[in-house]
Parts: sequence; C-alpha cells; structure tokens
Amino acid sequence: MKSQYFAGIDIGSTMTKIAIMNQALLASVVGPTGPEHRKLANEVMEEALAKANLPFEAITYVVATGYGRINVPFADKQITEISCHARGVGYLLPEVRTVIDIGGQDCKGIKLNDNGQAVDFVMNDKCAAGTGRFLEVTAEELGVNLEDMGRLSLEAKNKVEISSTCTVFAAQEVVAKLSAGAPLPDIIAGLHEAIATRIYGMVRRLKIEREVALTGGGAKNIGLVKALEAKLGFPALVPPEPLLTGAIGAALMGRDIVKQAGESGTTLPRSERRLQEVSLFTQ
Amino acid sequence: MVYVAGIDIGSAFSKAVVMAGNKIIAYQVKPSGGNYRLTAEQVMEEALTKAKLSLEDIGYTIATGYGAVNVSFSQGAVSDISCLARGVYYLFPTARAAIDIGGQFTRVFKLDNRGRATAFLLSEKCAAGSGRFLQVIAKVLQIDLKDIGKLSLKSRNRVDFNTGCAVFAESEAVSRIAEGAAKEDILAGLHRALAAKVQTMVERLGIEPDCALVGGGGKDIGLVRSIEESLACSLLVPEEPQIVAALGAASMAGEQAAAIKTSP
Repeated sequence: MKSQYFAGIDIGSTMTKIAIMNQALLASVVGPTGPEHRKLANEVMEEALAKANLPFEAITYVVATGYGRINVPFADKQITEISCHARGVGYLLPEVRTVIDIGGQDCKGIKLNDNGQAVDFVMNDKCAAGTGRFLEVTAEELGVNLEDMGRLSLEAKNKVEISSTCTVFAAQEVVAKLSAGAPLPDIIAGLHEAIATRIYGMVRRLKIEREVALTGGGAKNIGLVKALEAKLGFPALVPPEPLLTGAIGAALMGRDIVKQAGESGTTLPRSERRLQEVSLFTQ
Repeated sequence: MVYVAGIDIGSAFSKAVVMAGNKIIAYQVKPSGGNYRLTAEQVMEEALTKAKLSLEDIGYTIATGYGAVNVSFSQGAVSDISCLARGVYYLFPTARAAIDIGGQFTRVFKLDNRGRATAFLLSEKCAAGSGRFLQVIAKVLQIDLKDIGKLSLKSRNRVDFNTGCAVFAESEAVSRIAEGAAKEDILAGLHRALAAKVQTMVERLGIEPDCALVGGGGKDIGLVRSIEESLACSLLVPEEPQIVAALGAASMAGEQAAAIKTSP
C-alpha cells in the first residue's frame, strides 16, 4: 500500500498550528494567526509541506479545527476543537482523563473517557479573564515579554494579591502595584494566581480526574503551570509541544476517517479542495 | 447666606459643587489623576474661585466617591449611592430610578419620593458595562471620547459585536477596522453592546419610570440613545450629568448646615 499522509490544521484566535502525520508526526509549524494573517493559513500549510518534503496533492486527508476552521478552502472536513484536542491528548498522553487547554482567547476543560473520547467540556470564550489574553494584556502593561512571565514569576518572594477579575481593571491594578513599589516577580506571581483561580474554578465543574494535561499556549508558561498544579494538588502533564495537540488530533481524526472508509469500502467523503487563502468570513 | 459644598472624587473625574442655600452657584470637574488628595484640594479651590468664595466661607462640606477618604477638608463623608440619589432627586423630583455610568462602575438604583436610594445594583467586576469600555475603544479608534456620541448617531450600518468583554471588543473593533467598517458603525455597535449590559442590570433590578441617566456616560448622546432604545423609554439626562453625586453631597451638606444653625 502506498503511504498515506494526513494533515491537521488548527486555526486558533492567536496561533495557527499544522501537523503532518503518517504513522508518526512528520512535520509541524506553529505561526501567529493575527488579525490579517488568518488569510495566510495556506502559507503556513506550504511551510509545513516543505518541512515534510511533500506536495499538497500527497496529503490523503486534511482536517481543519479551531476557532477559524470554518472557511478553510483546502480542508476535507471541519471538526470541533474539543474532539481534536481530546484525540491529540489521548494519542500523546493516554493516561489523561482531564484536559485544561489555555488558549489565547479562550479556555477549555475537557473530560475524556478511557478510550480518549471527549465526554464533557466547559469553556469560557466570553471574557478575557482566565485566558491567555489576560496575561498578554497585563504583560504589556508591565513592559514584560509574554514569554518571560513564567520564569520571572518563579523568583517571587511575596506574591501580590490581584483583586480584579476583569482584565482591564487588573491591568490598572498592576500599574498601581508597580508604582507602589511591589517587585515585578511578586506581581506576576499574583497574576498567575488570579488566572489559575479563574481557570480552576471553571474546570472544577467537570469533576477533575487524574491524570490532568495542560495544553495550549498557557501550558508553556511555567509560572501558570505551577499555580495550576498548586490548585490541583498534584503535578500535571504537559506535552512536549502543548500548542500542537489540536492539530495532531485533527490529523489523527483524518487518519481515522480514511481508515474507516477503507474498512467499510465506502468512498472517501472528500471535498474539492485548493491550497488557497482562507476567507475571513462567510461571504 | 450659608454656603455649602459637595465634593466627589471618582475613579476618573473629581467634581465639586458649591451651593448657596439650595441653589447651585458654581461647580468644577477635573480628571482625578494619580494624587487624589491634591486633586481634591484643586477641584475645590477652582470651584470656590468661580463662586468668588474661599474655603472659610463654606459652612459645611460633604465628600463622596471612590476617593472620598482623601478629602481632608470635609466635615463628613456619605456613600456615593446616597449622594447620587439625592442629586437625582434635586434635579428630577419625579425620578424613581437612575442609571449612573461612571468611569469604572455602572450603578442602577431605585429611589423613593424623598430622594433616598431603596435598592441598587453595581457592576464592579467587569469593564464592559462602564465608561472604561468606551475609553478603551476611543483609544483604538483614535477619536476623542467626547466626540464618540455624535459620531455614533451618524451610523447607517451598525456593526454587531459578538462579545460582551471590553478586551475582546477591542480586538474585534481592530478586525472590523481592518475589514473597512466605518468608525461610526463600530461605535454604534459598541454603544449597543454597552446598552445591552445596562439593560440586563435594569431588568434585574426591575425599575419604574421616570428614570434618569447620570455620570459621565450621560454626556455620550450615542450611548443615551442606545440605552433609550434598549429600554424602550426616554431618560432624564441632566445638563451636567457628571456632577450629580457632588450635587447630592452639597444638598446634604446644606441640610447639615441648617440643622447646626437651628440647634441651640
């Protein structure tokens, strides 16, 4: 049998992620989505294809997921990010029963069964508090790179309490704390505590079961991971590339679809697809 | 003649009102800035200058607002909700409810026929229902906060916002600008989103007319019209909506001064 390749593309609010797989992960790309860049998802795909050294035609099946999955003209199918995250985490970390995904603009809790299927979920995409945006906005206010927030917070000696829930008010509050002389690491640790409280409060509604995986951009922040682990009362698992679970899951879902079609002898439900720009909205 | 004063140190603006008996003779509004103590002195000084008076002429001063504790020259402090209710009553005796849209909070309250607040709701957890929301957006659209009301009324094709969060609305506004949406249509959509938040509070409290709209939000005609549309009723808006709490405080100070005068 000629070898088959599968692509998963996860267009998030902030980052676009692509995974190309056959039996294993062959290539992956993580690039910013940005207000303009969403249109350029095809270029991210081309970059991934170049890394895998494959032409687009060699891809058997393409699954799109994430917030921007709807208008991807080069996908065969769209699948919700809940299912794709579950599939991706189940593949990478089979012992996981609860996933906490902290994205740039939303936050999800997903409950998995023993087969790695999503059985329940909670989500916040209505309010920036408890999402990556909270840290992005407050980091900017503090003049700190988002990537440095985690490391800096580990140097905290006296965590500052942040009383605001709202991102806008918290941004004001950190400026006031800073001008009152609070050390930067103590403020950042307070911010991680605030966002962890918010996330944990939401995910707890699912009745958290071990193991717990942290995914999304938030999982790359060591300070936030530690703050969440303190709430959980046990260590969490973080995949090697926590941004990529949705894209890997999408590629695997594509593989599952092709395998099923092959077994049942049905023709593959594939759409007419072209590697071209993603339209922002339905015309 | 007994002169009294009310001073309201808000999160965004500070206001002072000087009254002679029951009549307003001068007022002043200025940004609160970072030093409330200094601002309190300045805003009072400026109002007194307008009234051609000095602090010694003032028989009684009541402070209110977020930063009331920073007013060193007052004889007492009263909660902002009580002062707002009294100020609304002074201006509109028929009002039985009011919406106060301030820089940081929005309040909705009911008042009785003597100008006393009987019930209220406060949005303090979220910027989306407050003046802060409009400040954030005015900055993104690079327009002056005081111009957004008139501009919004010109909208022909309102942009609908999917979000009730000030942070997400900011990025949504940026995306819509990138797509070529007109500023007025974006503003009209944001006024609609803010009005929806206010409407939720009003419905939760269950108010009866007449209803007044006070606070800095009352200066934004686009917002006023949007809330009127949401609530399907017209609102009483004072000429100077920002000074209502300070006015209520001054009115209460007048009562105190009169009581001192008549007591043996």
